Amino acid sequence: MQRRPVCAIEDLPPGTMKLVEAGKFGVGVYNIDGSLYAIANYCSHEGAPLCLGYVRGTNEYAPEMPDQIRHVREGQIARCPWHQWEFDITTGASLADPKKKVRTYEVDVADGQVYLTA
Amino acid sequence: MTTVEDVQDRTAAADIAVTIVDTDVHPLPVSGEVLKSYAPAEWKDKLWPTGNAVSAVPHFYDTPDSYKTNSLRVDASPPGGGVAGSDPDFAAKQLLVDAGVSIAVLEPMCDAQLPQAEDVLKATHNDWLADVWLGEANWHGRWRGAISVTAQDPVAAAREIERWAGHPYMAEVLMTPQTRGIPFGSPHFDPMYAAASRNGLPVATHLMGQTPFELIPIYPVGNPAHWHDFFASWPLLYVSHLMSLVFDGAFDRHPDLRVVFVEGGFTWALPAMWRMDRIWEQRKADLPHVRRKPSDYVREHVRFTTQPLEEVDLGEYRQYLEMMDLGDNIMFSTDYPHWSYDSPDWAIRRFPADQRERIMRGNATALYGLPATVKALPSELPGDVAV
Amino acid sequence: MTIIDANVQPHFRFNSEIRRYLSAPHKLRAIPDVEQQWYQAPGGDYRQDLYGDGYPGSDPETVAHHLFDQNGVDHAILNPLTRGNIADYLLNSRICAAVNDWLLDRWLEPDTSNRFRGTIRVNPEDVRGAVAEIERLAGHPKMVQVGVPMQSREPYGKPMFEPIWEAAAAHGLPVAVHINGGNGVDHAPTFAGHAYTYPGYAAFMPLNSFVHLATLIVEGMFGRHPDLRFVFADGGYDILTPLMWRLDTFWMSMRDQTPWVNRFPSEYLRDHVRFCSSALDGPTDESQAEQWMDFTAKADLLMYGSSYPHWSATAPDAVVAGLSDAQRDKVLWRNASDLYGVTPAEPAIQTPKSKGA
Repeated sequence: MQRRPVCAIEDLPPGTMKLVEAGKFGVGVYNIDGSLYAIANYCSHEGAPLCLGYVRGTNEYAPEMPDQIRHVREGQIARCPWHQWEFDITTGASLADPKKKVRTYEVDVADGQVYLTA
Repeated sequence: MTTVEDVQDRTAAADIAVTIVDTDVHPLPVSGEVLKSYAPAEWKDKLWPTGNAVSAVPHFYDTPDSYKTNSLRVDASPPGGGVAGSDPDFAAKQLLVDAGVSIAVLEPMCDAQLPQAEDVLKATHNDWLADVWLGEANWHGRWRGAISVTAQDPVAAAREIERWAGHPYMAEVLMTPQTRGIPFGSPHFDPMYAAASRNGLPVATHLMGQTPFELIPIYPVGNPAHWHDFFASWPLLYVSHLMSLVFDGAFDRHPDLRVVFVEGGFTWALPAMWRMDRIWEQRKADLPHVRRKPSDYVREHVRFTTQPLEEVDLGEYRQYLEMMDLGDNIMFSTDYPHWSYDSPDWAIRRFPADQRERIMRGNATALYGLPATVKALPSELPGDVAV
Repeated sequence: MTIIDANVQPHFRFNSEIRRYLSAPHKLRAIPDVEQQWYQAPGGDYRQDLYGDGYPGSDPETVAHHLFDQNGVDHAILNPLTRGNIADYLLNSRICAAVNDWLLDRWLEPDTSNRFRGTIRVNPEDVRGAVAEIERLAGHPKMVQVGVPMQSREPYGKPMFEPIWEAAAAHGLPVAVHINGGNGVDHAPTFAGHAYTYPGYAAFMPLNSFVHLATLIVEGMFGRHPDLRFVFADGGYDILTPLMWRLDTFWMSMRDQTPWVNRFPSEYLRDHVRFCSSALDGPTDESQAEQWMDFTAKADLLMYGSSYPHWSATAPDAVVAGLSDAQRDKVLWRNASDLYGVTPAEPAIQTPKSKGA
């Protein structure tokens, strides 16, 4: 584990991701509405490159709606490019089964630089 | 890191041992125009009528986010353009090199509404497959193909089988299991089974989620509303066909017939075999032509591909497979480049140790008559997985 | 050892007997025969030795003797068949009502030994009629469940059926699904069309329960009704393990389409699902039976059901062969006792019990 510079914070605006060569499979560093998170580029299911999948929101049960469904948490969910498992980027936990997790890493900003500890 | 250009370089073509056979891969034409170029002129407009629908054959159930994914792996699009599965060299890089597959069986998917049109469409796909995937691009000998045939006209299907029998890389016959209410054991299919058996070709069948209207399976108690429970129930289509093959005497009429159930998983076969054995024991007089225990027919005549593997506690899963004792009948598959792809690295660790070799290589090698070695692709080492 | 037989089909003595219980507008309607079946077993659906003055299973004394004396059973849940999903759904509901009245009149009321329990048969194609019938009879202390056919043109998780399940659950009544005979307007019984042999039909048909079950979970029916329980009374539960594994696996991918499913689908089984045994279930190698029952915790889901007077009727010993003591206990009586609120009690009349098949 080492604290390594990733990029200038201007180069990682909200809603974007940088894939960093770190760890065994790479690490995705995400800017979600100004907060930074990092998850392993490795889905805990079958090892797919998680960070190459879509970043989306998810749906929750909303019985008052005609379709009983509401879209929430846009931009916070990483969907695995293979089986589309949903992972909360902010915690690394699967939405369906929180016991299934992907590895998360510390990210910080200092002097306008984004640093990843991986 | 292996590139597409590397894959095309044949100069370092050493032989490597076959370790993993993938029995379910889906190639796609790079464009409709390319596919059409293999169709007879008088059929082009009939098979692909002009119209305003962009999707020629729509989903009747949709997989997660399929408007964007088209049911494909998001990371499998060739860098040179085209849809996932349309570039033999990029597929070779991702599947053969990166994932470590030695030999893969290619199964195109297509159906048409009317029998003659379907016969022509299948032949068109066979010509396209042989040219684009099994010709020059197969210099390494690691692709095999399926002879697609129409289930609606088994005599035409037999003709198509005879046309391709003897091709060095066509390894099986492929038909739909969505057979408009005619179960696999019906004598309707006899001309096709005879042609396949005569030529030593297994008959594989593969479920299709994008089809003409008549191929939508109407479930006996009605259809679920979502792909989730629809797909969880789909093995019951294979159970229905398997019971028919045994009870309606197809294996007695065709002693050399081998049937492969693709992309339906296989764990359902255990309770199905028990049920068949029990009813046969209790109602033998109803089945005078079924001379052996049903499960014996299954063990001799039937194979199953593994994908999609279930996500379940590993200890319990291995216990189940040990109890099932079907290690001679299961063949590994990835379903590349579909979204529900199973990685060989992950899959191999799911199986009991004493079944692994047969599942990953041995059973498919025996069934399809595959070699023990193939040509290595550049930068490939056995078991290597590139990032 | 207490034994509850959770699946017995009593029959009318003869075809026209049902007309005594039918209301006037329907007396001259065509109604399928007692033994009418699209797929009849060659030689008859019922045990050959039971054909006598009336249809098999039509004399309460004979049935009581076979179940309670010969099989050593203490209580039997009677689930009479109706005549299929006939096209006229209102007539169908009147047939159900006639069957229910006959069951009370001929089987439940006269049973002073209190060993029979009954089923309120309803027609899911007539939702209002079904709810009304449940309301009419739910208060009867011997009616312990609601009964519907396996055959349906829509799976039971779909929303049109919800008022029926809601009414059943409100009264604490499980819903039993059982293959019916008759002349229903149905889809073909297998996924590949019609079966060409009776074994092809009989071996497959009970497996259709999985589609009902999967939709009850995925459509949120169990989620919205915590007290709703379904009984699949024709067996076919061995396939639960591989297919629930599939349902669980793909929930990880599909959750966002049906977010009301807020747990693994298999986690709904214990609180919501039971099965009755059948002659076609279980490993053919008895030495595997105990381990097999632990998959998917089937020992908690299974209840012994004879299917008397069907040709395939099974005795209790055969069903629990190879099981551990704890598993036998659950299957032979405890699961049914918990579900139906039938407590093992001293029999009203002490008769010597002789075991037989």
